[in-house]
Amino acid sequence: MIWLTWRQFRAQAITAAAALAAFAILLATTESHLSSMYDSSGLLTCHGGACAGLASQFLDQLSSGGGSFLIPAGSTYMILYFLSVLVILVAPAITGVFWGAPLIARELEAGTFRLTWNQSITRTRWLAVKLALIGAAAMAVTEAFSLIQAWWAAPIGKAVGLGGGSSIFSEGRFGWFVFPTHGITPLGYAAFGFALGVTAGLVIRRPIPAMAVTLAIFAAVQFITPLWIRPHLFPTSRTVTSIAAASANVSIKANPRLAFTASVVPGQPGAWIMSSEGVNAAGQPVRTIPVSCEQAVLGALGSHKGPAAGVPGASAALNNCVASHGIRVAESYQPASHYWPLQFAETGSFLILALALAWYCFWRLNRRRS
Amino acid sequence: MTAVIETEGLGKRYRTKWALAGCTLSIPAGHVVGLVGPNGAGKTTLINLATGELAPSAGTIEVLGGRPAAGPAQLARVGYLAQDAPLYAGLPVADHLRLGAHLNPGWDAKLAQARIGRLGLDPKQKAGTLSGGQRAQLALTLAAAKHPELLILDEPVASLDPLARREFLQDLMEAVAEQEVSVVLSSHLISDLERACDYVIVLVDSRVRVAGPVDELLDTHHLLSGPRRDPASLPGGLEVISASHTDVQTTLLVRSRGQVLDPAWTVSEVGLEDLVLAYMRQAAGPAPRDSHRHLEVQK
Repeated sequence: MIWLTWRQFRAQAITAAAALAAFAILLATTESHLSSMYDSSGLLTCHGGACAGLASQFLDQLSSGGGSFLIPAGSTYMILYFLSVLVILVAPAITGVFWGAPLIARELEAGTFRLTWNQSITRTRWLAVKLALIGAAAMAVTEAFSLIQAWWAAPIGKAVGLGGGSSIFSEGRFGWFVFPTHGITPLGYAAFGFALGVTAGLVIRRPIPAMAVTLAIFAAVQFITPLWIRPHLFPTSRTVTSIAAASANVSIKANPRLAFTASVVPGQPGAWIMSSEGVNAAGQPVRTIPVSCEQAVLGALGSHKGPAAGVPGASAALNNCVASHGIRVAESYQPASHYWPLQFAETGSFLILALALAWYCFWRLNRRRS
Repeated sequence: MTAVIETEGLGKRYRTKWALAGCTLSIPAGHVVGLVGPNGAGKTTLINLATGELAPSAGTIEVLGGRPAAGPAQLARVGYLAQDAPLYAGLPVADHLRLGAHLNPGWDAKLAQARIGRLGLDPKQKAGTLSGGQRAQLALTLAAAKHPELLILDEPVASLDPLARREFLQDLMEAVAEQEVSVVLSSHLISDLERACDYVIVLVDSRVRVAGPVDELLDTHHLLSGPRRDPASLPGGLEVISASHTDVQTTLLVRSRGQVLDPAWTVSEVGLEDLVLAYMRQAAGPAPRDSHRHLEVQK
């Protein structure tokens, strides 16, 4: 059975290996320059507050400078960074769609299941070997992409960790694109995507529609998870602090509703802020911008239509006005120490989901036998 | 000798329609069994129940004394050539043999190689580019080389041209002679099976009409012809399978245990094809002029 699995999977395996090799070569050829830029950025020897500035400077340099023989100068590292993250993000979808969905559906459509399932081997064994080997391959490939990218992007991660926040690389470890593509989460996503594809193929019985359904469901799950699932995988912490301490800005977009964009939890570097709201001295929520701050609102609006962050003076005036009414920011967040627990919780959830789908496949495959 | 297929009140229902109903059979070992019936009669359903692809909605089925597809050992005892001989289009002939070798502990590599050589199949040729006849031959090789006790073939020659049909059946008969295997093969054409089978099951409208060894069927069925008269006036012990009348003459196909001794009738032997067609026509209804069914049967 192992031989048959390999024989039928050979072409896909070679394709995956080639993609992995191309990915590794592309990143390896640019890695030395990236790390030498980091070494000369002063971040190795900086202390305290100086680091954040240097880190931002380093990141800005990455998104504008660089240039190698592969990609025209200008924004090499920015493009590479986002492409590589994108690859890790879509790899589970691709393996789910192209490896998972046709696995059973193609046999059903071509009628070859009648050939294979009537050799001296049970359907359960047939599926078990296929799921184990190809599922492991999907997980390994995705995790390999992730590890190569993490190695390459280590300087960027360090700079972001040191407080370099003003550039396009500002996503921390909890970011929408960073969290599901680093650590062990790619394993969970790959297992889930593959099992989802196999299940869709078994239920729909035709490869192409099964592939479409797999892609749609997987994309929906990838979208829903950071919004509604991940924040609740672990109990959140809550703190109330001043607007200034939270590096918060009053959002002018939400006017007249009072909303903040907070970026720091005091004493909790690297925390993942999930929501921030205004509260008064008594701790009760404040939902509207105080009327007496109208002048400041107009100032911020008049000069800029976007978020107040773009206009430091006007924005600061509005922030100060709101703060002068005794309004503080209540932040709910996951501290940086929750990173690994969250990684395990999310990965574990998807692995359990994948196992449940696999179990359903076994059950359904054997159901027609009484 | 144990039965290769034993069913008791076997039925399979798809939603509200019974594809097979009240099927009670006991097929003894050592036969080449022809499962005959028009398209849609339930042949494939019966075969799918025997291979374990379907579970019965009613009754029971045992194959070689075991539950169909119950485990590797049971699967090893039954060789199956499905309709249209499914093969992996992208895999060459040699890889199909390798597949058989890897998935069957009882695989007979020598036999498989010899068959492929005799058939003139190129081991490197992809299965998708084989002709219909070659596909069927390769699929038969796979089913035969695992050394089954029972070989089930679903419409193996339906998609083949007349020459390929004859070659395939001849080849099948040789394989049967070599391996002492019981065979069940289905067809909607009795003419395909006449030469090959020594046991016949006629299945029409999801019911078994008649089943038995060919010799016995031929011995107990007679064609009677004589002056026109009402079939009801026949002596007892005769079962009329079909009757046709002209203005002056009546021709009857009857089943009887003993000899027909009524001197008013001219008794003659009946061929297997006529016998099977009579049962199919009987099932279609009393009117022999049911041309639609007739055509389908004769196709």
